[in-house]
Amino acid sequence: MHHFVTFRMRLPTFAGINSGPLRRVRVGYASRVRLEAVGKRYGARQPWVVRDVSLDVGPGRLVRVSGRNGSGKSTLLKVAAGVCLPSAGRVTGRPRVGYVPERFPGGLPFSAREYLLHMARLHGLRGAAGGRAVDEWLERLGAADYAGAPLRSLSKGMCQKVAIAQALLPRPGLLVLDEAWTGLDQAARETLDAAITERVADGAISLFVDHDPARLAGRASQRWQLDGAGRVTVAEGDNPGSANTAPESTAPEATDPETTAHEDTDPEGTAREDTAYESTAYEDTASPRVVVIEVAGLEAGSLATVGGLPGVLSCDGPAVRVLAGYSDDVLRALLAGDGVHVASVRPETGPPDTGAPDRAAADRAADTGAADRAAQR
Amino acid sequence: MIALLRYQAAILLRSHRWIFPLILYGLLVAVSDEGAVPLAGGLDWSAAMLVPAVALLTRSMVTAEPAAARAVVAAACGPARAQVAALATALGAGVVLGLGGACFELLASQRPPGHALATTLGGGLAVAVVCLLVGSAAGAVCNFPVLRHPGVTLLSTVTAVVIALVAGISPAAAALKHTGTGLAAGAGPHWPGLVPSAAAACLLASTWAVSALAAARRG
Repeated sequence: MHHFVTFRMRLPTFAGINSGPLRRVRVGYASRVRLEAVGKRYGARQPWVVRDVSLDVGPGRLVRVSGRNGSGKSTLLKVAAGVCLPSAGRVTGRPRVGYVPERFPGGLPFSAREYLLHMARLHGLRGAAGGRAVDEWLERLGAADYAGAPLRSLSKGMCQKVAIAQALLPRPGLLVLDEAWTGLDQAARETLDAAITERVADGAISLFVDHDPARLAGRASQRWQLDGAGRVTVAEGDNPGSANTAPESTAPEATDPETTAHEDTDPEGTAREDTAYESTAYEDTASPRVVVIEVAGLEAGSLATVGGLPGVLSCDGPAVRVLAGYSDDVLRALLAGDGVHVASVRPETGPPDTGAPDRAAADRAADTGAADRAAQR
Repeated sequence: MIALLRYQAAILLRSHRWIFPLILYGLLVAVSDEGAVPLAGGLDWSAAMLVPAVALLTRSMVTAEPAAARAVVAAACGPARAQVAALATALGAGVVLGLGGACFELLASQRPPGHALATTLGGGLAVAVVCLLVGSAAGAVCNFPVLRHPGVTLLSTVTAVVIALVAGISPAAAALKHTGTGLAAGAGPHWPGLVPSAAAACLLASTWAVSALAAARRG
């Protein structure tokens, strides 16, 4: 009974968030991208680069694609992004795509800003909205001083910033990054990390390749490992340094101090939690976008059903991770089940299994938090 | 699609890739005009010269973007649509060239009197449209991404243009011949004929489809 009361007490907070600006972002992101028996080869007599790849990735997932050189990472990303058609199988459910290629040499007869304005129009951002998005991203990536410079005259790093800006400015539902960090300065790398985290928190899917295993370490929720023969194995969680594909839970475990706090019967503790959460919610709207619902009595057979609900990022029995905008619907569905008790509902305070939650939070705060606060003033 | 066409047109204008086809077309049209020829003959010549001009424009357009920029646009809009936009932009530039050529012929050639002027002009423009379609088809099927090696694409484009202008099976040659015989007979409207027009349209559609599919497959 206590658990249920806890849940009731917390519900208004989430209802408040759902009616806030977050409702807007879920439009267009609800789709799952599915690769169905996808194969790719560049010519009928050429060898298969990737072969018989069937993958299904839901909203809010950050996927690390790894494999040695020539194992087909770039090809897999291109097929997933829709840059080229697969030779076999198909890709469905692709939302708006932002793609950052491996190298972006410029070479077009535009200035950086003119090029980005064209790209904004291609993504359906017209008029002043496109101009604002372009200026915002040039500013964030530290390329505003080069906005009027011809693409041909830009350095490699500056070209890469333009490539990143064009991918991010339409707020894509699928963000595909092929070694996008190459050539970037430290500030731009951090901006890019923060932007990716922000997109994923908004419910976008992001696939990335990078040769640095520390890149976005702890933030990826899945890893696709290419074996060199065109096959892909999927590992949950993020352990980029090892070839071990044993699945790791993507949800915080019971050892998480947050969870322990919820099981404490001290009502003051609960109140502190709520206060802390509300201040986070209203000062930094970027943070509490993933909600963890802890349930008891969920049967093994229902796991897949719950996992298939819109907005559910992962469901491993005791913890269901769900996008904030969907938490009401998912709660209703959970409570409709027999013998299911909702133990607690709380915002996810950081990416799961992260070794550096402080850094992630700092990234987000530096990122949208600042922008949102500026907008509120 | 409008945004794509605008992007491609901006590339064409800003990259100055239109200069060589324009100079070539201007020279070819001007060189024919030794003394005053009849308007019908002049229009036919300027229409015929659209075939190499549009083929070259198409060649310019499908190679204008670096591969990375092409991939980025393909991700945003689909690779086939991006390719069709590049082909359509070259064709649009060809229309501008054709109109310029027709204006030149109107000024420089011997105009027939009265209502014959309108008929002659209409027929000449219709032939020009057939030649535009055939030139675009030749450019699309002989260049990137259908064929890739620069030497091969240039040779095959030139060959295709020559075949398009002289071979009996070419819609452009048939349209030109049709009006030519009309002129020689000195009677009848100088229209390109239904079969060459339809054949040119089919040729354009099929070659653009081949080019778009190649772009989508090869990425």
